[in-house]
Amino acid sequence: LIGDTGVGKSSIVCRFVQDHFDHNISPTIGASFMTKTVPCGNELHKFLIWDTAGQERFHSLAPMYYRGSAAAVIVYDITKQDSFHTLKKWVKELKEHGPENIVMAIAGNKCDLSDIREVPLKDAKEYAESIGAIVVETSAKNAINIEELFQGISRQIPPLDPHENGNSGTIKVGKQTTQASRRCC
Amino acid sequence: MCDPEEAALLRLEEVFSSTLARINSHLLQPLLLSTPEPSDLWGWECLQLLEQLHTSSQRLWEVTEENLHSLRERLRHPDSVGLESLLLLHSADQVLQAHLEYIDSYTNCMVLKAFQNAAKSKIKYWRAQRKVVLQFLSDVSSQNTGGPVLGHALHQPLVHHVQQYVLLLLSLGDTVQESHPARQLVVHAATLFGNLQSYMRQALDQAEDTQALWSTLSDRLRNELYTPARRLLQDSRDISVMVSPLRADRVLLFDDALVLLQGYRVHTFDLKLVWVEPGKDGYTLHVLTPEEEFAFCARNPQGRVVWQWKVTQAVCQALRGKKDFQVLEVGPEPPEPPSCRCVAYTFRMGGRLCQATYEGEWCQARPHGKGTLKWPDGRNHVGNFCQGLEHGFGICLVPQATEDKFDCYKCHWREGSMCGYGICEYSTDEVYKGYFQEGLRHGFGVLESALQGPQPCKYTGHWERGQRSGYGISEDRDRGERYIGMWQADQRHGLGVVVTQAGICYQGSFQLDKTVGPGVLLSEDDSLYEGTFTRDLSLMGKGKVTFPNGFTLEGSFSSGTGRGLQTQGMLDTAALPPDPSSIRKRQLGLGAFPVESRWQGIYSPFWDFVHAGCPGDLQEALLGFHIQSSRELRKSQEYLYCDRNHSKDSMHSIEDILEELLKHREPKALQQYLKKALSNSLHPLGKLLQTLMLTFQATYAGVGANKHLQGLAQEEVKHHARELWAAYRGLLQVALQRKGQALEEDEDAETRDLQVHGLMLPLVLPSFYPELFTLYLLLHELEDSLYSQGITHLSLFPDTKLLEFLDVQKHLWPLKDLTLTNNQRYSLVRDKCFLSATECLQKIITTVDPREKLEVLEKTYGEIEATVSRVLGQEHKLPMDDLLPLLIYVVSRARIQHLGAEIHLIRDMMDPMHIGGLYDFLLTALESCYEHIQKEDMRLHNLPSRWNSRELW
Repeated sequence: LIGDTGVGKSSIVCRFVQDHFDHNISPTIGASFMTKTVPCGNELHKFLIWDTAGQERFHSLAPMYYRGSAAAVIVYDITKQDSFHTLKKWVKELKEHGPENIVMAIAGNKCDLSDIREVPLKDAKEYAESIGAIVVETSAKNAINIEELFQGISRQIPPLDPHENGNSGTIKVGKQTTQASRRCC
Repeated sequence: MCDPEEAALLRLEEVFSSTLARINSHLLQPLLLSTPEPSDLWGWECLQLLEQLHTSSQRLWEVTEENLHSLRERLRHPDSVGLESLLLLHSADQVLQAHLEYIDSYTNCMVLKAFQNAAKSKIKYWRAQRKVVLQFLSDVSSQNTGGPVLGHALHQPLVHHVQQYVLLLLSLGDTVQESHPARQLVVHAATLFGNLQSYMRQALDQAEDTQALWSTLSDRLRNELYTPARRLLQDSRDISVMVSPLRADRVLLFDDALVLLQGYRVHTFDLKLVWVEPGKDGYTLHVLTPEEEFAFCARNPQGRVVWQWKVTQAVCQALRGKKDFQVLEVGPEPPEPPSCRCVAYTFRMGGRLCQATYEGEWCQARPHGKGTLKWPDGRNHVGNFCQGLEHGFGICLVPQATEDKFDCYKCHWREGSMCGYGICEYSTDEVYKGYFQEGLRHGFGVLESALQGPQPCKYTGHWERGQRSGYGISEDRDRGERYIGMWQADQRHGLGVVVTQAGICYQGSFQLDKTVGPGVLLSEDDSLYEGTFTRDLSLMGKGKVTFPNGFTLEGSFSSGTGRGLQTQGMLDTAALPPDPSSIRKRQLGLGAFPVESRWQGIYSPFWDFVHAGCPGDLQEALLGFHIQSSRELRKSQEYLYCDRNHSKDSMHSIEDILEELLKHREPKALQQYLKKALSNSLHPLGKLLQTLMLTFQATYAGVGANKHLQGLAQEEVKHHARELWAAYRGLLQVALQRKGQALEEDEDAETRDLQVHGLMLPLVLPSFYPELFTLYLLLHELEDSLYSQGITHLSLFPDTKLLEFLDVQKHLWPLKDLTLTNNQRYSLVRDKCFLSATECLQKIITTVDPREKLEVLEKTYGEIEATVSRVLGQEHKLPMDDLLPLLIYVVSRARIQHLGAEIHLIRDMMDPMHIGGLYDFLLTALESCYEHIQKEDMRLHNLPSRWNSRELW
């Protein structure tokens, strides 16, 4: 989970994790580390979501967090053009230094405030298309598109082990310990 | 009151005493007067025997007098002196002994015809004395003169006397009442002298046969076979037997030996070491002796039975000792002699045991059981034998040329050669502790030379047929150099790593002890040399040097003594500083020595033990043993014992260990059990761990404490945890099998990893921690020093300034925690905010268990959150934007030394299950704090003037 400070990274996760009843009491570290399990086809995907600090001075620490991640959610604020610029820098960095085949998802948060929008949806879509990323405008406040964002990631994540998922994916449904668990930041 | 028998006894003794006195003066004294020719050896022998006879007759006379005295006392004061005061009754054995001695010396004289010879030499004197001689004989019919009469005169009074004894004692027994206290004594004495009568008869018969034998044998044979006490029991001339495969034309059974005669050749076999077994056909009798096996074949089954009976009886008698004459009274079936005996024997024939003396337990003519084998050259083996060969534990001393020096082998043996675990102390002060096979070092072993020796060195590793082979570590203490790598035929051969005292690290290929082909060398200043190297590790030929600043020098190199390194090449100053992982943090040996096979030699005996079903008798041979000190052992060598630290208390027999194992299978109990087992050097698992610790220290302590070996070390520790878990499972299966219970199914990989990381690794990690942590320390030295500079700078900040500096949002500042005294301002207080979290984090260094360290981290987080919630007055979930600055604050205040080493050790040893999870996240967050504190603006930030002013202080 990457993005400028104040764009609502944690809110998105909090909404995602808390909106639905989860059978397991997942360990969390405040709003910084959360887990959530969502069904995807025959499999269960467990999201281990790592928050990062958005302040400029901590940018250089980000690689420690995204190494080993399967997916990255990069958040910008549709009401702040600056945050979209930062997003582009993040994408560039991830392309260059991030893990191979990392799934990138762009979330334009605060879509409930579209009247003071600074970043047009079209720009975001065009940009996302150019880098092959998922893009969605969300509102953590009104719970818009949050679920869809993570579903989109779920669909894009390649099977953990094609062999294992191929023949036993259905059997493992519902078993918490054996599902494909992926990290996401 | 006295019985009439007592008066009769008195008279009997009076007569006997005076008879003995007269025999002495009239017969023995004159006999002793003869002086044979100096050359007449047999004459001298006779004289000696006559002297012995004289001595024993004196003794007999004294005993008789003593007995007489006690009789007189008794008759004089019948009321005050009881019947039991008679010497004959209360010391019947003493009286008997005097008789036995006399009869033995008498028969000794008789077999040599001592009386005849004496009579012959003084024929005139004895003719004159004929009357005197005859008066000692009750039977006067014999008209012979000389020897035979003399002989009779010397034993007939004794025979008569014993006969009277028996008669009187028997009738005394009849008159004494059942309840009389002395009755038992009377009956006992009567039995003893009754036995003596038959013994005397037999002794005289045997003496007669023996005398006949000596006089018919050739002088040469007689000289060889004669001993005074030897008696003939059976002669193949009487009941003939054929001998095969040894050839013999005559077989003589003596009371101490079995003798085969073949012409002039004589084979003598000590009866104590003769075993007989009847053959299946009824005619043959197999005779087993230490060095020969042969068969007697009789003409008929009766002949075989007689021989078997006689030999068996003689063997029994020889084993009991001659004096025990009662055995003759036992019925026709002689008792079976024991098949296992304890005798000393010197091997005469050639071969391995030539001239060696074995003293100890025998079974079926072979050393079997405990014993000592001594060679004339001083070689000495004490221990267990089986079927004639060293088998089981034994201590062997082999003397060396220099006096008082010897090699001492404390080993397990199998069929005559060292096999299994052993400890050898050589005269050169070298010590080998390890495994053997067929007498050669084989498997895992440690060879260490004396510390003060000329070339102090130590090898820890694998051996093959006496030579270093496979993975091994050798240390040359003089050169301060350690080789870690592959060996073949006692030479460095294959991939290897050399580390030196100077911190130099080399990796390359070796062939026949020399470096070959390209290698890399890392110097302590983090320069990298690539190319080919000489034996003393200087670049030779084409090569490349990469300096820490990124400059490279490529060209051809040469070096000579005292001239330093010379080169012709290109210096490239354009390059950027190299990636730390390529030089500064480069790990050597990874992949070169697969961790699975690295210490196979330690694990394979353990698995041999488990697969054999954990037999108690192989425990030591396969798992090894410990000995306190060598001095103690040298002493105990003489006593046939060697305290190998397997204390007698039953706790440590393998049965009990397996029993215990089954009782502790629930997670909590299992953890306790394993903890105890691993710290117990007598438990198979503890033994394994101890040996593994030795190898770990041999590799990574001292010279081996080199940052480039951290990778090797950490994978080794994890592998050991995996193997020890498997070892536990192996023991468990055996324990279940023994109980006839269903075996455990193989665990799936996930459960196994869980147990290895959750249970085993935390238990074994402390054993390797000092060396392992040192390696992490060295590897992260640079980062740790930058971090520590950062910490030092930040420690100058007062709490509020630091919070501000780290951009912690003001509403999260726990100002409530700051209590101010007079003259203080918020801006001056230090080390008060988030104190609980800081103190919690500091606990991370108090444990070695990675999981516990991670728990500390989680608690620290909990403390931060609790403090923030308290400040805000409500439950607050911290997003990373807020958490990270706070965590940096706490980390900088906790001032943990070597945090980088800690973090990386935790990450490497962490259960892979946690990857991506909560703990991983927390550790990453901690690591990012660590990284951040190292940054320039944290270390070298010029403090704003207002902080830097005097106000601060």
